[in-house]
Amino acid sequence: MKPQEPIPHNYSIARLNLIFALSSLLLLGTTGAIVMYDYVRGWKWFQWEFLRLQHERLQQDLRAAKQSQNKEQLAGLDKQVRDQEIVIAQHRAQYVVAQKELDSWEGKHYAADQDYRFAKAKLDAQRYEAESSIVQKRPDAAAQNQEYAKQTAHLAQLLLTLQDVARHRDAAQATVNAWLKRIKDAEDKRKELNATIDLINKQIETVAPTSNFFVLNAPMLDFISPTFKIDQVVLSDLYIDMNYMPVPRVDRCQTCHRAIDRPGFESKKEAARLEKELQGKLDGGQIDPAKREETETRVAQLKRIQDDPNEILNPWRTHPKLDLFVGSASAHPLLEFGCTSCHRGGDRTTEFGRAGHIPANAKVERRWEASLLPFFPGPWDYEKRHWGYEMNEFLETPMFPRQYYEAGCIKCHGDQVQVRQGDEITRATQTMEIVGCYACHKISNWRFSDLRRPGPDLNGIAEKTTPDWAIRWISEPHNFRSTTRMPSFFFQRNMIGPSVPAAERDQNIKLQDAEIHAIVSYLFAKSTHREWQAPGNGDAAHGKQLVETVGCLGCHIDTETIKDEKTGAMRLAKRDDFPLERNYGFNFTGIGTKTHAAWIYNWVKNPKAYYPDAPMPSLRLSDQEAADITAYLLTMQKPQFMKQPVRAADPKAVHDLAKGYLINTMTDRDAEAKLKSMPMEEQLVYLGQRSIEKYGCYSCHNIKGFEGLKPIGTELTTEGSKALHLFDFGFIHEYTHESGKKEHVLHNVPSWVYNKVRSPRVYDDERTKIYNDKLKMPNFHLSEEEARLVTTVVLGLTKEKVEPAKLAGHDPATRTAEEGRKLVSQHNCRACHIVDGYGRAIGSLIADTNFLPPDLSPEGGRAQSAFLFNFLQDPTVMKIRPWLNVRMPTFHFTEDEANRLVAFFAAEGKGKPFDNTLYTSPPPANVAIGKQVFDMLRCAQCHATTPVSPENPPQPNVANAQSLAPNLTLSRVRLRHEWIPDWIRRPGEMIPTTRMPANFPRNAQTGGFQSPLAMAIDTPAFAQYKSTLLPYFNNDEKQLRTTMADAVALTGYLRDYIWSIGITQIRAAAPYEGPTMAVPHPPLPPAMPAMKTGRNRRSNDTQEVRIDDVRVDARARAGLR
Amino acid sequence: MMFALTLVLALGCGKGKEASNNEEEGEDDQAGSTAAASNTAGTAAPAATPAAAPVSADAATIAGTVKFEGAAPKMGALQMAADPYCQSQHPNGADATDEEVIVGPAGELANVIVYIKNAPNGPPVTTPAVIDQKGCKYHPHVQVVQVNQPIEIKNSDATLHNIHAMPTVNSQFNEGQPVQGMTSTKKFDKVEMTPFRIKCDVHGWMKSFMAVLPHPYWGVSQMNGTFTIANLPPGQYTIVAWHEKYGQQEQNITVGAKEQKQVAFTFKG
Repeated sequence: MKPQEPIPHNYSIARLNLIFALSSLLLLGTTGAIVMYDYVRGWKWFQWEFLRLQHERLQQDLRAAKQSQNKEQLAGLDKQVRDQEIVIAQHRAQYVVAQKELDSWEGKHYAADQDYRFAKAKLDAQRYEAESSIVQKRPDAAAQNQEYAKQTAHLAQLLLTLQDVARHRDAAQATVNAWLKRIKDAEDKRKELNATIDLINKQIETVAPTSNFFVLNAPMLDFISPTFKIDQVVLSDLYIDMNYMPVPRVDRCQTCHRAIDRPGFESKKEAARLEKELQGKLDGGQIDPAKREETETRVAQLKRIQDDPNEILNPWRTHPKLDLFVGSASAHPLLEFGCTSCHRGGDRTTEFGRAGHIPANAKVERRWEASLLPFFPGPWDYEKRHWGYEMNEFLETPMFPRQYYEAGCIKCHGDQVQVRQGDEITRATQTMEIVGCYACHKISNWRFSDLRRPGPDLNGIAEKTTPDWAIRWISEPHNFRSTTRMPSFFFQRNMIGPSVPAAERDQNIKLQDAEIHAIVSYLFAKSTHREWQAPGNGDAAHGKQLVETVGCLGCHIDTETIKDEKTGAMRLAKRDDFPLERNYGFNFTGIGTKTHAAWIYNWVKNPKAYYPDAPMPSLRLSDQEAADITAYLLTMQKPQFMKQPVRAADPKAVHDLAKGYLINTMTDRDAEAKLKSMPMEEQLVYLGQRSIEKYGCYSCHNIKGFEGLKPIGTELTTEGSKALHLFDFGFIHEYTHESGKKEHVLHNVPSWVYNKVRSPRVYDDERTKIYNDKLKMPNFHLSEEEARLVTTVVLGLTKEKVEPAKLAGHDPATRTAEEGRKLVSQHNCRACHIVDGYGRAIGSLIADTNFLPPDLSPEGGRAQSAFLFNFLQDPTVMKIRPWLNVRMPTFHFTEDEANRLVAFFAAEGKGKPFDNTLYTSPPPANVAIGKQVFDMLRCAQCHATTPVSPENPPQPNVANAQSLAPNLTLSRVRLRHEWIPDWIRRPGEMIPTTRMPANFPRNAQTGGFQSPLAMAIDTPAFAQYKSTLLPYFNNDEKQLRTTMADAVALTGYLRDYIWSIGITQIRAAAPYEGPTMAVPHPPLPPAMPAMKTGRNRRSNDTQEVRIDDVRVDARARAGLR
Repeated sequence: MMFALTLVLALGCGKGKEASNNEEEGEDDQAGSTAAASNTAGTAAPAATPAAAPVSADAATIAGTVKFEGAAPKMGALQMAADPYCQSQHPNGADATDEEVIVGPAGELANVIVYIKNAPNGPPVTTPAVIDQKGCKYHPHVQVVQVNQPIEIKNSDATLHNIHAMPTVNSQFNEGQPVQGMTSTKKFDKVEMTPFRIKCDVHGWMKSFMAVLPHPYWGVSQMNGTFTIANLPPGQYTIVAWHEKYGQQEQNITVGAKEQKQVAFTFKG
């Protein structure tokens, strides 16, 4: 035998083995790593942690439930069971007999039942035989039929037996049950008492980890039915832009935020707030008795949360205000709205960083970023709440930081002036309206369309003031009026700030001065010079009194200094120090220095004579009143303002700037020649025109020669969707604000917008730019709060697509109301009135509540539409509250505007828009009864019933506080028929501060109305009334008494009586003969579509501007940027 | 594997909760949404005072006087011409003077409410407090009731009165009383230490003040300027005196067992 030769190989087997082994191990390792990488997810840890928290909370609840269990009741029930068992034992013999009886009858019943069934089956068979024998005509047919009849009879008898046996059996059963009944009752009761505890125990079972749990969630096996899984909600009508295509949102936030829609995991602060609210409702009897226990349990739970030494942290917290957001019964349930539609962020991601969480401030950012391993944050980090965060710069829609949460409201609520329960967002859009952002920056939303220009018309400026004043004003408006809304264009930080080199600073000052002089020259050159009649002599003291009482201070502020709340020292006032409504008109301080008597006199008498779009209404002042007010206002001087030195315009600067514009259309030499031919005055006017174009003054003011131009600012309609890289952050990360505060610029859009709005030229810091390239947005001196609100709105203006069905406030009733609300906001009704439940800025200035302008909350249900329509157009048609000093102004509404307001009030008060009850005739019997009730309740002690002239009632003697009630003869034409009884029954609920007493107080227990006449009708003092009333009730005393106790009937009679004494006609609104408004508001011109590229933030325009004989090509304007 | 490791670590240390301290991320600082609406000073209920003890054997009494320093302002006559009935109740203007400041001949100031600020809660009171509208004036002019004590409001006049109470912490009410002799019963369920106004809208000169306390340790100075607070358990207290025109004054006192403490207040005009 030959020894085996080694087989030759090309490769060394040993080495191959080694390589194979290593590569196998590597493959195994890779597979393991793949599995692990896929399996180990952060969100699983969060879900695990949540299970633990749930367990803990449930244990707490269990302990509390056990404690609150009524131990005595349980013990009593146990005793009951035991006692009955003892009784049974004592009478055991009887019980056993009864039981035996039952058993035997059960047996008999079974047997009888069986017999019956078998017989029935046999009968069916026999029936077949009988019938088939007949059909087949068999010879044994008769016999079969006989058999059939016999069996039928037998079956009937068996049935009787069965029923009899059943009866006996039931009786026996009842006997036994009687013994057992008490035990059964006790057991049922105990089960009921233990229900809560049983429920909690069941819940604990579901969250306690069992061995099943580990198997289901093991790696590789967790595709079957895992307990830890991603939780998502698909929103098919709210879209997110996925690579330029709108796709439905898929929100997976709940995967980590497990308790977001579950009550029981609130923060302590939220728990405190909720407890206070619910406790208040419980105490006030506003909770349905059926739900009372549930509410009390919840309150106890909230107390436990507050007493817990630890606090639940995010992401395991319940969403705050669950009744408004996220809760299933709220206005924004989770399943319909998800999370990202409000908060933005990456919807489909389940990683912390990728989801677009934005830290609220730098401190939070540092904690989030900390992490042991850079790419592998895990439980070792999570426990310290270091999420290993890295900002996801590729996410186009990061979340809104905490202070801008409300930005998410705009995409659905953008068409509403007022968002119910959304005070923040309402205030934010209102701030934007008052500050006037929409004038320069076009926003295509309905909310910011058709609004008036924020600044006054400058076509008549020469009639009002002097160039000296205007120059100083434009240089720095806040030196004249600290609360003004006019922003500062000149001498801002990018012109003369600390980061500008000294030499450049001097040059900039010269250039700015030149521009200011030029603008003023232009305005005064183009101004009209109408003559206005001077007033007679006025009494300034009386004028002061008028200003303070007639209602001027609802829209105007009359002081520049205010006592600081914290330090108690006097300081300059800011816009924020006063309610928004009082910033509508300008601050009176210094008006005497600015203008002259003739101007003021004619303005306060008839503002619209100056320009038809004047926001100020007419207070119907007599000539003497106007003269007195003029005299007073003239005393408000600010001479130190005019003492400020003003530098003259440097001719060289003017020349250079003008040339800079001219050389866009002509050669250098031609430009020089042209300038040489123009005298300085003309140069200034030309430069002024170009400067107004450059700075965009015409966006807020009506200026001759600039009608019909587009607003100058960037269009903001989709600013919130603009990509981060398109914002110019400049070179700064932090800066010192003009107020001295140090601000940081974080590299995200909210921070950019906030700082831009706070200090618009800050992004020019540290940069070198030629003069005309520098940033031009003026400084509005917004406070931090104002800036935050404006930023909120801007961030919310996105191009995210929402299905129309989801948009809020699009039902016809709300649209009507919102149109009216827009008018209310534009005409500043809330300066004097409470509308929609808030407002009345003038309220803090009137000490006696009897002299406040009325609260209009019930107006919709209260006033007849025809009356309201006439009254709004001409308040002199009826003077219903002659004791008031404040006057309802004449706004000169167009019919369309008056209609919109009337429809708004009707929609608001849920009244019918047009009613026809004026001519309802009350039955005479009702009128007579009503008169008696009227006398019994002594209404006449406050309400006069003698006819008066509606337009000119006698001035009441207010020393007698009694005369501060409306005359009832004016009710029929003003109030709605069905509203009057409701008002009489519950005035305090409609208007909490009213003087009208509740004559029919509510019964606290039943909620019904009590009538004082129920008792009174039988007293001797009322005997006369009783005898007068009896005939109307068929002399039935019982019926009379019942009616006297019925508040609804009594108020109906009162209304009928008031109706009978009321007048039925008032004068219609006098037509307005003053300057007619050809166009309701000069509309802001339509915007051209914004360019899609990021290069030009302002839209390209091709409009031509023709000014006198200088034609300017629009392309040249681009060079003016 | 890693997950098991995760579990082990997580089981041991639960970090879903943490001792609540400087939680800047979790702070819900939405402006205004959670602001409490308490808007008067000094009306918040005292923090968890223990349930009151009944009259103890060593209860002390505080007796005192309230004086007025300076020239007493002259009080004008009430103008009742608007209602002939009211005028008829005060022939020749008798007893129809403004009750805002009542100073006795020796400088005694009446109608000053004196109460203990931080005393323990008292047992519930069921005897009603009475406020009577007679001769178009309120009797008494100032009053203190206890929380949930029934208040009987009586109209002894043959004219329409309405009782319009304007508390800031409790709920307001405004009820008409057209029938002579009728009474309405109300109560206040929250502590309100700063006295609030009660007025009649029909007769503007009528006014009265009321405070709601959780205990019975209060007194109102009489015409001779004296007041008494009885059955007070010994301890350290803050005692407050309030007058409708001259505001509020406080003193810290210590009351010993069975002591007859003398306290004096002086208001300057």
